[in-house]
Amino acid sequence: MNPAVHLDGITKRFPGVVANDDVDLAVERGSVHALLGENGAGKTTLMNVLYGLYQPTEGTVRLDGEPQSFDSPRDAIDAGVGMIHQHFMLVDPMTVWENVVLGNEPKTWGGLRVDREAAREAVVELSERYGFDVDPDATIADISVGEQQRVEILKALYRGADVLIMDEPTAVLTPQEVDELYGVFDELTEQGKTIIFISHKLGEALSAADDITVLRDGVNVGTVAAADVTREELAEMMVGREVLMDPATSPQEAGDRVLEVTDLDVEDDRGVEAVSDLSFELRGGEILGVAGVDGNGQSQLVEAITGLREAASGDVRYRGESMVGKTRRDRIDRGMAFIPEDRQERGLVMSYDLVENGILGSQHDPPFANGGRLDWNASRDHAEAVIEQYDVRPPDADAEAESLSGGNQQKFIVGREFERDPELVVATHPTRGVDIGSTEFLHDRLLELRAEGKAVLLVSSKLDEVQGLSDRLAVMHEGEFTGIVDPATVTEEEIGLLMAGESLDDDSVEGAAIHDAAGGGTDDTPGDGSDGADDASRDGIDGATGGDEGVDA
Amino acid sequence: MSDPNPDADGDPSVFARVVAPFVDRSVAERLVISVAAIFLSILVGFALVLVSGRIAECSTAAWTMPITGLGFCYNPFEVYVVLFNGALGYPFAVGDPGLFNPGWTPFNLSFGLTLSETTLLIFTGLSVAVAFRAGLFNIGTQGQLVVGALATALTVLALAPLLPAGPVAGLVLIVVGTAAGAVGGGLWGAIPGALKAYADANEVITTIMLNFVAANVAYVLVLEVFRAEGSSVVATRYVPEYAQFPSVLFPASTDFALIALLVGVAFIGALYYFVEHTSLGYDLRTSGVQAAAAEYGGVNAKLTTVRAMTLSGALGGIGGSVWVLMSEGRWMASIPDLGFDGITVSILAGNNPIGVLPAAFLFGILKGGALEIGFRTDVPTELVAVLRGLIILFVAMPEFFRMIGRYAGVGGAGGAGSTKPDESAGGDGGEADA
Amino acid sequence: MRNPLSPASLLESASESSYVRSLVVGTVGVLAALGVLGLAFPESVFGDLAGIVFSTSTGASTARLAAPIVLAGLGGIFAEKSGVINIGLEGLLIISAFVSVYAASVVGVGNAVLGVPALVIAFLAGIAASTFLAAVFAVVCIEFKADQIIAGLAVWLIALGLAPFMSTVFFGGVNTPNLGVSVGWKYSATMVVLATLGSWWLLNRTAFGKHLRAAGENPKALDTVGVSVSKVRYAGVLLSGVLSGVGGSALALSIGQFVGSGETMVQGKGFIAIVAYLFGNYNPLGTLGAGVLFAGLDAMQIRLQQLGYAIPDTLVQTIPYVVVIVVLALVGRTQIPEAAGEHYETEE
Repeated sequence: MNPAVHLDGITKRFPGVVANDDVDLAVERGSVHALLGENGAGKTTLMNVLYGLYQPTEGTVRLDGEPQSFDSPRDAIDAGVGMIHQHFMLVDPMTVWENVVLGNEPKTWGGLRVDREAAREAVVELSERYGFDVDPDATIADISVGEQQRVEILKALYRGADVLIMDEPTAVLTPQEVDELYGVFDELTEQGKTIIFISHKLGEALSAADDITVLRDGVNVGTVAAADVTREELAEMMVGREVLMDPATSPQEAGDRVLEVTDLDVEDDRGVEAVSDLSFELRGGEILGVAGVDGNGQSQLVEAITGLREAASGDVRYRGESMVGKTRRDRIDRGMAFIPEDRQERGLVMSYDLVENGILGSQHDPPFANGGRLDWNASRDHAEAVIEQYDVRPPDADAEAESLSGGNQQKFIVGREFERDPELVVATHPTRGVDIGSTEFLHDRLLELRAEGKAVLLVSSKLDEVQGLSDRLAVMHEGEFTGIVDPATVTEEEIGLLMAGESLDDDSVEGAAIHDAAGGGTDDTPGDGSDGADDASRDGIDGATGGDEGVDA
Repeated sequence: MSDPNPDADGDPSVFARVVAPFVDRSVAERLVISVAAIFLSILVGFALVLVSGRIAECSTAAWTMPITGLGFCYNPFEVYVVLFNGALGYPFAVGDPGLFNPGWTPFNLSFGLTLSETTLLIFTGLSVAVAFRAGLFNIGTQGQLVVGALATALTVLALAPLLPAGPVAGLVLIVVGTAAGAVGGGLWGAIPGALKAYADANEVITTIMLNFVAANVAYVLVLEVFRAEGSSVVATRYVPEYAQFPSVLFPASTDFALIALLVGVAFIGALYYFVEHTSLGYDLRTSGVQAAAAEYGGVNAKLTTVRAMTLSGALGGIGGSVWVLMSEGRWMASIPDLGFDGITVSILAGNNPIGVLPAAFLFGILKGGALEIGFRTDVPTELVAVLRGLIILFVAMPEFFRMIGRYAGVGGAGGAGSTKPDESAGGDGGEADA
Repeated sequence: MRNPLSPASLLESASESSYVRSLVVGTVGVLAALGVLGLAFPESVFGDLAGIVFSTSTGASTARLAAPIVLAGLGGIFAEKSGVINIGLEGLLIISAFVSVYAASVVGVGNAVLGVPALVIAFLAGIAASTFLAAVFAVVCIEFKADQIIAGLAVWLIALGLAPFMSTVFFGGVNTPNLGVSVGWKYSATMVVLATLGSWWLLNRTAFGKHLRAAGENPKALDTVGVSVSKVRYAGVLLSGVLSGVGGSALALSIGQFVGSGETMVQGKGFIAIVAYLFGNYNPLGTLGAGVLFAGLDAMQIRLQQLGYAIPDTLVQTIPYVVVIVVLALVGRTQIPEAAGEHYETEE
């Protein structure tokens, strides 16, 4: 029997990027298949090919063995493929049944009236068949995210979907809703539906899927049965081994306490708690890396520290001073540098040239401003200095930011922020989208800052980066640090587990530093004696921060 | 490549997004679009004159179309010749031998009227432009002008008896009166600014409403309290002659004072300097082009909104002062649409203070020329009002010109358009470039 | 099965938002109080007020004044619900007011063409003119991605210039001569009520209404289920042209003349229409209520003047504007459709 979905040698190229490279994927009817991978691994692109949003550069999409050629999602829907996007395609002020039948409304009175009764009946019938508990007359805006997701599923089913693609289905759900979703999966597959879901969470793939395909850098690393694979194996498949960085960090005494975060709670735009009760501290001459899958509260944490978002509760102390109620401007003035993750939206004004961008954040401060007047000569000198020192190309201060490549934009931002002579640098994904040469350069600059005794908070989803640069490595999951570990000794598997929300206090995991993080005692690994002093100093810090954060409830 | 994430977290307001493309477009492209819009409007106006000339009834045809022999009541060529030539006071000799009219001096009545309009439009144009630069659409310049004008008239009328008549008192009254206009307009502009910043009330709607409120309240105030005795219209008393901008060089009947124009030009320079060369100006325009980046750079968004609207209102108010102290000599109920013309001027100028000068002059010519059209031709002067609307319409659709540019394959608009391929997809949050 | 046309069902939907309910209750309450006070103290100002409010002539002029506000407001709902903010309603009213008078004068009042009476032709011509201008606006906004606010402003200004221009061309002055006909207030009232009910039905009971709403709230949701967002938006804007056309024609034909001086005879009614539908929270019945309220205030003020009360009429006219600002300040953002003002591009 043919698989329900067979992606046969799919290659999708975008100008300058190969998003999918000869990917094969076969999904059996009535099974749940997880498509696992890091951000940017090509999962979403592959599913957009299956959903008709993209046409593959090479390769064939087959449903039940029949080759398909989708020009648009419309074709895919007609062929029985339904997609549930991560951001739901629902009309908030309309009711559940209105959303389900939108575009395919049953009509009466010669089309003059939507047959509300028939539509409601169809919705009720569908939700009963699959055991959904959804009120057809509720307004979308009033129901929970989990219920909204079920409405999206109903929408696909109403249109006759046999194959359901779900993009990060648990990203927005509470743990209880996740369990309910798994129940929905069971109901659907029992009735012959096929489910493919995109995820970057190991645990989720293992518990919900029958089979797991891991994508990395657009390539299918392998398909395994969920029953036959361990977390560790999956983590390794997912992360792979990129260019190993030299452990460039040299031992160094930690300096004064620069940043102290206590019981911090931060909410995201929707008012959902994104950072929960987080505490840590950061000293001068230290790099604290924050690893974790994107969307686990890193952005909100960083925004709360840098003054772009108000914390719901808790305290952020910077050099002994509480930052509660302090504006972004106050924090810039006190020497906080910030490399934002969305450089084209926040870090640079895209239509400004580099002279103008060079003073973003310093526009009220000397030498760029004197009595409210901007000194463009000083600004130009500054921009040119940054361009030269940070090797921004083209070396033209009059070039508009939008004309620069991503890597050069980033180098300019990094240069501008570092030249502020900050006490604290908050760097989020500083090398995302940056070529290898520039990456190394930026890494060296971060280490120089550390050597100068500055404090660095480094948030990155690149494991090798945070591991290679940090003195301590915190792993963030669902708004909490699941562990603060010694990057020199921790293994990638262990990080993978922490990223998946597991704690490391069971003895099956080897690696000494982990216990340090939790306990704060000294525990030198044999053969690592040269770093002993370093470890000890780190351990002291770890102890002070209360590594108990690491214990996940 | 990163997974596409179309959901902009820091979702800016709908209107910020709407306004963004107008704030942030390359100067060259703006220039091309403005010029093209003017020509296109003139072309449509030409057709309009032609068609209505065919429909209207007249004894003798003003113009006969070559080849077809069809007669038209209006001569579309003549209309534009009269419009532009007349607005300048007929420097060009049409129909007579020689290119220039030997008797022409720049200090003639028509040119004075044109410059008078230009002066007023500079202030209202700047008013709209400064709000636009901060990403705010101030349709309320008209109301701010009404309030500013009333504040000026009442202040000057109240102070005049306290000072000995004379040029010194005149200077004091003009300065104080203008300041009063700025304060009045500024406060009136601060209202929608504060409502926007602290109550999230859409400034487009509040400013339109405040226009009506300003007009009505000022009308009632003057009608009931400040009306000049024996006046047949609803108006205040005239301010003393010495407290008005003097009509040096130009005939007094032009209601034009060169000094006022120079003040206007000085304001253009000052505003340009403010926007381009001061920290606050940097905050303001950065908020306008990329609010998220401004926030990152430590700009207080709410305060900037209030500041920009206050400044915008103050400029509108000064426009009202100049209208009282130069054109009318008093506050009266039928205030011309200077605020709405200011929107056109600003949009035409690409919201650039420097661009306001030629845009205001062009509009001054249209308005001055309208009078000449009334004198010299049978074509209704409302033609100019139609042109005003058409110009706004065409400037509002840059994509149209880009399309034409693309079809033509080359050309400024097309070239500029093709450098920003992702603009068409920029509906969601303007992260790429807006 | 419930009869969907039953008044109960209509009322239930009308009052589904507490906002509209409080508006209705408030209006009814004020009127009731006025009636009671007027009966109790017939000689006082309440007596006069009550007499005015409940008199036929006030009702007649209210109906006449309400027609352009309510009809343009209904049109505005369709446009804005679809995601296109149409602040050019004023222009649509102006152009249809002029063209309807012009058409009536061309045909000749009392004449008929192919059995169609002149007044009907006048209405049709007014509607056609308004719809044409709305179509231009739609193309500019949807096809050429113009800024909706600026384009709407342009529509207003073009009409503000064009109508007096054409009037001068045809009649030698910005005001047309009076044709000596007037469409009775009963016709206006009937049109308003029918249009309100029809709009309500269209918006709340038909598939088109659902699509319209989706196009304005989440166009991507509509697009992904295979409905063309552009088509829905064109329909919304064109409907605003049709309804405004009826309103503008009714306004002009109710006195048989187009007045083109100053702000023209429309005098900001298009903007008040925007206020009316915002006030009515995008509900046709609420819009009807708000429009009648605003028109009633105007009509009352005229009557008060005639009775010798020296309340400045302009101050009374200001009330709606102030109310809107206060409401906006208190409510903050109006329930403006999520995607209103944005261009929508189909992916790929």
